[in-house]
Amino acid sequence: MNVVPKPEPPQAPPERLAYSVQESADLLGVNYFSVYRLIQRGKLKPCRALRGKLLVPRSELVKLLKTE
Amino acid sequence: MSNHPFQNRQPTKLEDQAYSQARQHFAEHLKQFPTSQDAVKQLERDLAKTTIAVNLAASQAKPDAIPIPTDDGAQWHKGVDLFDNLCVCYRPGIYALEYAVVERFPNGKNEIWNRGHNAVEVLRAFANDQKQALQAWSDDLKAQVTEFLAEKYPSQDMSRVADAFVLKCTTETVSRTQAVTHNHGQKRGGGIHI
Repeated sequence: MNVVPKPEPPQAPPERLAYSVQESADLLGVNYFSVYRLIQRGKLKPCRALRGKLLVPRSELVKLLKTE
Repeated sequence: MSNHPFQNRQPTKLEDQAYSQARQHFAEHLKQFPTSQDAVKQLERDLAKTTIAVNLAASQAKPDAIPIPTDDGAQWHKGVDLFDNLCVCYRPGIYALEYAVVERFPNGKNEIWNRGHNAVEVLRAFANDQKQALQAWSDDLKAQVTEFLAEKYPSQDMSRVADAFVLKCTTETVSRTQAVTHNHGQKRGGGIHI
């Protein structure tokens, strides 16, 4: 008897390491300018992509939410 | 082409095309940045007026007003709204009122940005911080536009286009309708779900 292989469950997309300012604002549910305020005050520590674009590490967003 | 802020020489046809694409792609920045910049300028212009309004609110405080709690366990009272979800708050101190600029986040967190016993100084310090935040925004915008153009035109130098776009964005004036909308608060929907 042939055994029909079970279809593999769909894999969750890999977790993003960092988000753009726009994405961070959307995730936090705040205004775009608020994210720059949080960065300016050191509440969010961004990193920079190749051409200098700001990215907010996922860990920073999680940390901010945990302290909130 | 008209009204492009290319300063030294007229843009080439390709630069003109790239500029239009950038304007389209970053249209939201072109709207939001001048609005936020204008709100900060207005805050600087109205330091005394805002201080009077806060003190007036404090003198007419209702005993049943719901206080705004902050992380340090303090309870604040709302004086006046500024822009976005920001407001100037006050609370009675031992000798005098204490003032703070507080941002209210959608998850219920209230962040104190600046505080002190001199309302004008608190507002001035806050306005200065906002100018730095605007600078971070314009620097980031330039980087975003540069990245966008490098992907669209990989072998071309589009630095003049990026410069021109940021110049346009940071020198754009806000229409009255937009300013009024901004003053009534721009709230993003959505909760916090990472």
